Amino acid sequence: MADPRVARLAGVLVEYSTDVRDGDLVCIDSSLAGAPLVYALYEKVLEVGGHPQLRTEVDGEAEALLDRGSSAQLEWLNPARMDEVERADVRIAIEAETNTRGLSAVDPARQARHARAREPLRKRYFERSAAGELRSVVTLYPTHAAAQDAEMALDQYEDFVYRAGLLDSDDPVSEWTALGERFVRLAGWLGAKRELRVVGDGTDLTLGVEGRTWIPCDGHENFPDGEVFTGPVETSVHGSVRFSYPAGFAGRRISGIELEFEDGEVVHAAAASGEEFLHEMLAMDDGARRVGEFSFGLNDAVGEFTGHTLFDEKIGGTVHLALGASYPESGGLNESALHWDLVCDLRSGSEVYADGEVVYRDGRFLDGVL
Amino acid sequence: MTDPRIERLAELIVDYSLELEEGQVVRLDGLEVAAPFALALYETALEAGAHPYTRIGFSGLLEILLERGSEEQLDYISPLQWEEIEHVDALVTIWSESNTRSLSRVDPRRHARFIGSQRKLSNRRWERISNGEMRWCGTLFPTQAHAQEAEMSLSAYESFVFAACHVHEEGAAEHWRTVSRELEARAGELGSVRELRIVGPDTDLRLGVDGRSWLAADGRYNMPDGEVFTSPLETETEGEIRYTFPAIYHGREVEDVRLRFEGGRVVAAEAVHGDDYLSSLLDMDDGARVLGEVAFGLNYEIDRFTRNILFDEKIGGTMHLALGSGFPQTGGQNTSGLHWDMICDLREEGEVYADGELVWKDGRFLAEPAVEVLESGVGG
Repeated sequence: MADPRVARLAGVLVEYSTDVRDGDLVCIDSSLAGAPLVYALYEKVLEVGGHPQLRTEVDGEAEALLDRGSSAQLEWLNPARMDEVERADVRIAIEAETNTRGLSAVDPARQARHARAREPLRKRYFERSAAGELRSVVTLYPTHAAAQDAEMALDQYEDFVYRAGLLDSDDPVSEWTALGERFVRLAGWLGAKRELRVVGDGTDLTLGVEGRTWIPCDGHENFPDGEVFTGPVETSVHGSVRFSYPAGFAGRRISGIELEFEDGEVVHAAAASGEEFLHEMLAMDDGARRVGEFSFGLNDAVGEFTGHTLFDEKIGGTVHLALGASYPESGGLNESALHWDLVCDLRSGSEVYADGEVVYRDGRFLDGVL
Repeated sequence: MTDPRIERLAELIVDYSLELEEGQVVRLDGLEVAAPFALALYETALEAGAHPYTRIGFSGLLEILLERGSEEQLDYISPLQWEEIEHVDALVTIWSESNTRSLSRVDPRRHARFIGSQRKLSNRRWERISNGEMRWCGTLFPTQAHAQEAEMSLSAYESFVFAACHVHEEGAAEHWRTVSRELEARAGELGSVRELRIVGPDTDLRLGVDGRSWLAADGRYNMPDGEVFTSPLETETEGEIRYTFPAIYHGREVEDVRLRFEGGRVVAAEAVHGDDYLSSLLDMDDGARVLGEVAFGLNYEIDRFTRNILFDEKIGGTMHLALGSGFPQTGGQNTSGLHWDMICDLREEGEVYADGELVWKDGRFLAEPAVEVLESGVGG
């Protein structure tokens, strides 16, 4: 029997996250393993009058290209992809991997070159989203591979994923709407702050946020969701940070990352494993050494680390910062082909100060803040 | 382990059918059931220095659109599709299905409407193909559904498909180059014929082909391939023909079709099963009663009927005559929304006369085509 939560997820993505309307051109990106959600989305998009267009990749393509492609092939930007970014009204991207580590053996320099070549895509995608011309959401369809990363059985992982999306509720849309209202209040309050200081195990980091916009994330661009973020002032980040969780990126997992910042730039970087890859990513371009995003994770239904950024960065009681590109709508100016989210658990022995005053302790904003 | 025949087929299409060159953009179209073959093509195209990308659809989505889409949704062609046609240098269509009968219960008018709207797109594609601006090859990756249609096991069907493409052994490209020379020679010889007469069980049909060019289908546009074809003169077909194999159009079968022609047009038609469907197709438009194609099937590695036109029309020892649109590149002038290939088995009893002379008997031309033997430098 089909899992009813899949159809519910499709309903939320189409009617709430991207609000598909009559005549919209809707690009659905997925790998083959996302099929059940693709079918549900296709039906839902048709039902509301949109024009669904499927974009899939066969498992193994990326490995072949990154492993064997010539320079010209690695750096080729498919005009059809660019055209999609320019013309789509809606994009729904489904992550549904059959092997999350298929790219582990790929030369990181080649990977960085490929990412740089695709930068114009990412840039236009961010720009059109920020301008409100493109409504876009990224989600995950649970697979064995993702369950394996989370160290769970598939059915346990499915429960985790759908719980995080509040899809056990009869009316997930009103749940997300209520959360969204809370996030808007928090974003408004943070918007009046000039400087944040995060203190925790191995971490004492100061970030300037004056004049920047905090964005409440309530399921419109990521699903599931639950964060409030901004782009910190590019030259302001100072101090050190130790990331509690391994960071997955481009088919790899790097653990024990420690960074030291001066005047907004990484001046020292170390990792317990995958340090070479970390250095390659930092060297991708000028913007890769700067912070493009700082964010509070606020989804309490995502209680544990599962090795996937979409969920890990939303864990209630964490903060994350991203190296690389900032989101223009936050006022962030950093440009890079990189956007790599790194998560820091603050649920014990941690504090956050706003303009010198403690506002957050052990994973919670103090009473009175919200 | 990967079936080596899949890799050989991918190489044959990339190197021989499409002759992909460095820097060319090639799109690989198919459904998810063809994914292993799409990946093989992707990898082979990469090795050739091209820029491949896949466009994989999911089985059943078209059916959902045809069943539930609004008229606006049925008519829709996205600007992305228009733009994309202009950018690709080559296209591979993998016709593999997971259910060959999934459209059986679709409302035929809605289906026709969808096909009609998509035709604008395919016309533009054909324009670019005919102008030499892009290459195209249609092929098939064996699936259970096609095996079922052919009444075979999957492994037996795989052997059938890969042998038909001649990738069951090494040297496929060389094989097709030889086939190409033979078919070209045969087409050249047929080009000087004025009239063909086909004689077989319940069949005695005369077709005028004077001045028409015969083309060799040698694995460039289809894989497998193996036929020579032309469009007969539109007003000269006279006599009767009985089709031994069921005639299939959009998944529906009409059995034991008999047609009588006068002055180029079908004047009487009957079938044992599917008579109504036959009549409705003949009445589709003015050109539907006129032959648009006559062809000799010459791939003797295809030795049986498998209910798939990609293979059936090339069965060695058969002829097929299509009602409906002709091929302008052969001189054909008939236009119609229909192009319905019907196949006549001439392997057991069958004779073909060219300008009165017996040239074909029991599924074989009597004389080998005069191929120029380049190796020895001796003209043919």
